[in-house]
Formats: sequence, C-alpha cells, structure tokens
Amino acid sequence: MEPAVSNGRLEVSCGNKIPKSTPCPRPVPGEASGGCSFDGAQITLIPIADAAHLVHGPIACLGNSWESRGSLSSGPELSAYGFTTDLGEQDIIFGSEQKLHESIRYIVSRFAPPAVFVYTTCVTALTGEDIEGVCKAESERLGTPIIPVNSPGFVGSKNLGTRLAGDVLFQHIIGSTEPEQTTSHDINLIGEYNIAGEMWHIERLMQQAGMSILSRITGDGRFREVGWAHRAKANMVVCSRALLGLAVQMERKYGIPYFEGSFYGAKETSYSLRQMAYLTGDRDVERRVDKLAAREEMRLSLELEPYRKQLKGKRAVLYTGGVKSWSVITALQELGIKVVGVGTNKSTAEDVSRIADRIGDDAEYIPEGGARQILKTVRSRKADMVIAGGRNMYMALKEQIPFVDINQERHKAYAGYDGLLSLAKQLVHTLQHPVWELTAKLAPWEEETEFAD
Amino acid sequence: MLIKSATKPVSVNPLKVGQPLGGVLALQGMYRSMPLLHGAQGCSAFSKALLTRHFREPIAVQTSALQEMDVIFDADRNLEEALDHIWSKHHPDVIGVISTALTEVAGVDFQSRVKAFKRERALKDSLLFSVSLPDFHGSLETGYSSTVESLMDAVLGLAGGKSPKKQRRTQVNLLPASYLTAGDVMEIKDIIASFGLEVITLPDISTSLSGHLLTGFSPLTRGGTPLDSACQMLESSCTIAIGASMERPARRLTHAAGIPYHLFAGLSGLAASDAFIHFLQKISREPAPVRFRWQRENLLDSMLDAHFYYSGASAVVALEPDHMLSTAAWLEEMGVELKRLITPCSTPALQKTEREVWIGDLDDAEESAQGVDLWISNSHGRKGAARAGASFVPAGLPVYDELGAHTSVSVGYRGTMEWVNKVGNVLLAERGRGG
Repeated sequence: MEPAVSNGRLEVSCGNKIPKSTPCPRPVPGEASGGCSFDGAQITLIPIADAAHLVHGPIACLGNSWESRGSLSSGPELSAYGFTTDLGEQDIIFGSEQKLHESIRYIVSRFAPPAVFVYTTCVTALTGEDIEGVCKAESERLGTPIIPVNSPGFVGSKNLGTRLAGDVLFQHIIGSTEPEQTTSHDINLIGEYNIAGEMWHIERLMQQAGMSILSRITGDGRFREVGWAHRAKANMVVCSRALLGLAVQMERKYGIPYFEGSFYGAKETSYSLRQMAYLTGDRDVERRVDKLAAREEMRLSLELEPYRKQLKGKRAVLYTGGVKSWSVITALQELGIKVVGVGTNKSTAEDVSRIADRIGDDAEYIPEGGARQILKTVRSRKADMVIAGGRNMYMALKEQIPFVDINQERHKAYAGYDGLLSLAKQLVHTLQHPVWELTAKLAPWEEETEFAD
Repeated sequence: MLIKSATKPVSVNPLKVGQPLGGVLALQGMYRSMPLLHGAQGCSAFSKALLTRHFREPIAVQTSALQEMDVIFDADRNLEEALDHIWSKHHPDVIGVISTALTEVAGVDFQSRVKAFKRERALKDSLLFSVSLPDFHGSLETGYSSTVESLMDAVLGLAGGKSPKKQRRTQVNLLPASYLTAGDVMEIKDIIASFGLEVITLPDISTSLSGHLLTGFSPLTRGGTPLDSACQMLESSCTIAIGASMERPARRLTHAAGIPYHLFAGLSGLAASDAFIHFLQKISREPAPVRFRWQRENLLDSMLDAHFYYSGASAVVALEPDHMLSTAAWLEEMGVELKRLITPCSTPALQKTEREVWIGDLDDAEESAQGVDLWISNSHGRKGAARAGASFVPAGLPVYDELGAHTSVSVGYRGTMEWVNKVGNVLLAERGRGG
C-alpha cells in the first residue's frame, strides 16, 4: 500500500483528495441494510466520554440504539447515559423547542458536563425545529458549549453521518481549547473508537517509543482534549475513510500532516508507528520505533508459531464493510490465512484497490447481497470460516460455519502486536471448538432411518 | 389507580423503545413473513440489531429506506418499490407494513397505497397488511399488540369474514403477550396441549426465535405460525389471551367469529398458575395431568426454601406494562416489598391496578433504588443498579448480557419456580456478601 502522507516531504500527497461530496448511491428500498446518518454521527461522537449526548426526537432513535457499542472509557461514564427528549404527539404538533431548551438546562444543571451534543433526528429535521438556534441560545445562557449535530437519519448512510460528525468536531470543537503542555511527539488518533480497549494497547506502544496521544478522536476521548487537537504534530486516521475529510481540513487550517493507517496485524502496526515517528521529525523516536517494532515482531513471531501452524492454509470470507476490509486482510495473511472472499459493500474505490493490492484476483469480491451472498461465497470457495460483524453472526452459526466477530460490538481487542496474538488464539479456538462436530451429527432417531430400509 | 410520573423534561436512560420494534417482534412469530418498516434505514437497522442482540437469532426486517427527498416528494413510491422488491424476490406469506414516526409526521397515506398494491397484484394466498405505529405513542407492548390486532383483521379478511362451517371443541387459540419469551410460549403451548387440546398460537415466536438449526438461508422468518393455521383460528372453541394487551386482538375474533376469549393478566406465580390450570381443566373436561401436581408441590417447596432470603427484601421493577404487572404478582407472593414499579407508557390495564405505578425511565428507577435489594429491568439497567447498589436481575427486552434470556421460562409452576430460584440465588449471594 502506498501511504497517503501529506507532509510535503513525500511526493505523493493526498492533501487535495478531500472526499468528494458526490451523493452516495441511493439504497434500494426492500433490500437495504446498514444504519442511517444519525447512527454514524452517534458512533463517532458518543465515545467522547465526559460529554452529554442528547437526542432530539421520538424515542426510537435513542431508545432502540443506546449502549450498543463496545467503546470503552477509562473514566467518565456520562456518554453512556441515554438522553432523549422522547417527543410525544403534542410535542410534534405544537413544537418542541421549549422542551429542548428545558432538557439542555436540566442536563447541564444536574450533570455539569463540559459540553452537550444535541442530535437532530428525521422528525425534528422535518418539522423544522431551530435546533441550532436553541443550542446557540443555551450555550450563551449556560456558558457550556451546546453543540448541534445536524445529521438526521434520512440524509444518507452511516458513513455520511460519520463525516458530518467530523465536520462538527472541526467547526465547533477543535481549536477551542489549549493543552497545558505539548511535546514534539504529540499525535492525534482519528477514528479509533477504543472498541474493547484497543486504543489502550496502541497508546502503550506509542509511549514505549516515546510518543504520546494528544487528542483521542474519539475513543476514550474527553471534550476539552478534542478541543486542543490542533496542537498535534501529526494526525493518524485509523481505518476511517469517513473521517479523512477531518484530517484534510486540519491540515489545511493548522498545517498538521496526516496519514492513514491501521493497527490490525504486526506489519500494519509497525508501519503505522513508523509513520507517526517519521511525521514527528525526530530521528530518536524513529530509532526507538524501529527497535520496538523489531523486538515486538520477533516476540510475536515466536508466540504466534503454534497458532500459525494450525491456521496455515485455512480459508476465510471477510465481510466487514469499509476500510476494515483491507486492514484485516493483512492481519489474516500474516497468520497464514487465505482470504477467499471479501465484502466491498461499503468500500470506496480506493479501499477496493487496496484490497486488490493484497489479495489480487484470488478472492471473490462481494459488492452487495449481504448474508445470502456471503454464504454462497463460503460454499463456492470452500471457506472454513466467516469473519464479519455481529449483523451476520447468527446467519453463519445457523449454517454451522465458524465465525469470528470483528466489528464494533465485539468484546475482544485485536489491535497492535498483542491484538494479533489474540486474534490468532480466537481463530484457533473457534475453528477447533468441539461444537462444530456435535452440531454436524444427526440425532440417533434420524440415523435409525438407515436401518429401517 | 395510582399513576405517577417524574417531572423532568428529558428522558434519562430510557426504558421505552419505539412501537415499531414491537411490530417487528410480532411478525417474527409468523411463518415466512417480512416486516417492512416505512421509514429511514436506521429505523429498521436499529430494530434488527436490538432484536438480534436479544434473541441471538437472525431477524427478518426490511425498510423502505426513505431519504430526505423521498419524504418531501413521495415517500410511498419507496414503499411500493420495497413491496415490489420483496414480493418478487422472496414471495413471503406475510408482509406487514409498519409506519414509523417519520412517515406519520410526514403524513403520507401509506395504508391506501398498501391496499392499492394488494388490489393491483391480486394477492390472494398471502397476507399484506399495514399498521400505524408512530414512535411518539406507546412502547414495545402497544406496538406488538396493535400489530397482532391488524394481523388478526387481515387473517379474518383472508378467511372471507364468514363464520366457519364447523367448530372444533378441542381446538383453542393462544395469543401470547409481547413479553413472553420463546421459552414461555413453548411452555404455555405444552401446558395447554397436555390437556388434550390442540392450540393455534398467534404470533408464535417459540418456533422461530427459540433457536433452531434449519439450514438454507432466507431473509424471511424461519418459523412461526403458518398462514393456513392462522386461518383455522376461526374454527377454535375459544381464545386464550395472555397479558392485558392481548385483549383487543382476542376481542376481534369474538366480534368476527363469535369465539369467546379468556384473559389471563399473566401466568407467573402460584395464583396465576392455579387459575390457568383450573381453567384448562374446565374447558378440556380432563383432570390435570399428574406432573402439574408434582410441579405445584415443587414450586411450593421452593418458595418455602427461598422465603428466608426473600423476606424483608425490597425491589424496583422497571418493565413493559404487562410484564411489570405479572412480575409484581409473583414478587408479592414471595413477600417482596415493591419499592417502585416503573413502566414506559400508560395502558388501560395500568388504570385498573391498585398498585402505585410510575411512568418513567431507568433514571427514575435509580433514584428510588437506593438501599433496595433488587433491581429487575432490561440490560440497560445494569449500570444504574450498580450505582444504586442494588442486585441486578435482567428481564424484559433487550437482555444482551446474559445467555438464554429469550428461552428462560417464567410461566406456570415450573417457570415460576425457575424465577423464584434465580432471583432467590441473587438475594442469597447478596446476603453472603453481607449486603
């Protein structure tokens, strides 16, 4: 993969490749899957752990969705609270701006958060509530930033919502505070949500190499901390196309170079750490990263040995959507697993070319079709397992296909060197589990029909 | 009736879910069916994710995938496209079109569009119906029961609206409430069948969401009530409705086909189980099978064993209305002081209860749970319970941090015993910690 580095020292820059705002293809009614823009905005902003997140709309938007992500916080828990104006019929008929005012005041007076994010939903967008006006008025009145998030579900896909949330971060938050101290080795992680505590693994590695995270955007993030992101030496966009725009905007306004990377697999991890070190411009840090990477890769390769033996030649179908596809492929290949099918439903053209760089024509590309198409690929390519998000987990289990969960709801951390080891263990344990033999066996009474003949 | 509610302007840690979720749940209990949410993509994605997490099963649901311009210009064009797509691709037996807050506020006349689609396609052997379920009313329970009611109307329509030629004395209908688990529905069917009665259940999640290993992927439901069985409900001798929310659908059958109904508010606890067994004995004219005598004694013995740990215990119960009433009933039999009963929305059954009930959220539960022993609610309550220092027992929907919630049984003597022991064990452990 050619790194997208834009610090001026490399010839290839993607600084001008801001994601185009061409409309996404319209979802097919009756055959659509995946979340809405509101979902995408929530996913991106809720990990800011000390802020309050208030959903302005009828109950379903929050009531059906809260507490469904595995983003962990090391401290404050306020973002794990579900706040919603829970609009009733009267609110919709007579307007609910007053209710929104009161809700914001209530939250601020009771919880004293550093900020409140207020999410528009389809209904409040449709009824034309002046949410920005309310937020502005309450910000002034209360002296607490009240931030409107205008990403109602019907504007588009989850990815669009993530991008809109990136705009919110850029317009309202980044640049609003100053860090107490900075070093020349400060990096922002963008699009790392600390699923199952993955960010903590990465942070430890960075510390060992003499680098630190200035702003977590947004996994285990804090509101004030996001505000001083403009003082970082470099941005790393972790597996998130949708937040690339944020990095581009930060480069333009603050001159912060960025690169895209991933922490899935030892190679990608080493690459990402090296890239960070390079962007800090400190030779000493670079040397420390080299040493760290060499040591960790060596250790890992020893520890992985028994698992590699068992995974060698196993065939997997990967269906994660988006950028994770290419980053996870590298990790699987390091374990000796052959990726025989890969979902490209949410991938951009650039993601797909990165996938192609890694697996060429050996694998089947699954652009759409969801569960049915995944199963077809598993059968035709004789795959041993499916690696996908929770949405498709039970489909695979019904067909008695070993399954490993790789998406946002999971409870295992796979990032970094240790993460690869965890992934290897998880894969081996899954494949070798006795349950597959047991479920494949017929019940005794079904076997008996053979005697009856 | 003593209904109270907190006065805060905002819902904090809601107990409520959107009505359409109840509609989607109800349709999981129909064989080869597809609920179609008329709304934005997220409406169905959230419902699907939530139910999948709870049941640990694939969930059938589709969406008309409305985007802003569709809503402004012609939302029903999307609906028609979705119907067309689902129909031509999957040939389901049942499609239920469910509106959402978005389509209700946009004020589209989707019901007549559904009727037109049905007319144009001359759909005879399958069921296409619609139900209006705005998110700004009710909760899961009301969405579920309204959907069953509309489904019942559609079944009656399909059966021609005429009185059946014959009536089967030994055939009964069962309408289980939204809170009953797949395990509960299976248990109730089993109890009824053990009196020599044939039972038709509508909807029946016990055969679709209890966990089966049918291979061969389908986006439609893989179990539940077959449509022709549903049509035979008109020949049954009576209808058994479990949960007050199922009274309206039961009444539909009475009005249309003269089938009497019997309502049981719940089947948890000794008194409720006794009433049910006694009733079955009467209508079947068969003595209660000997296993129920055993189960009853086992339950009483368990209650005796457990009462040491229950006595003096207090609880906060935050569940959907029928579930909350049924849970309160057996907790009262165990002598638990009900510190606060919380439910997400008001229903006619709540107006009649003599208990004090709060319409509220899990934050209200937390406020009243200080110094309380037990907290019973869906999984969202776990953190609040921990903050309040109450022992947490997950129940209701969603339960995502415990295995087997969807197959656990709380009905009849056996189910009551299971819960008496389960909650008793929590109290026992608390005592062990010196709590």
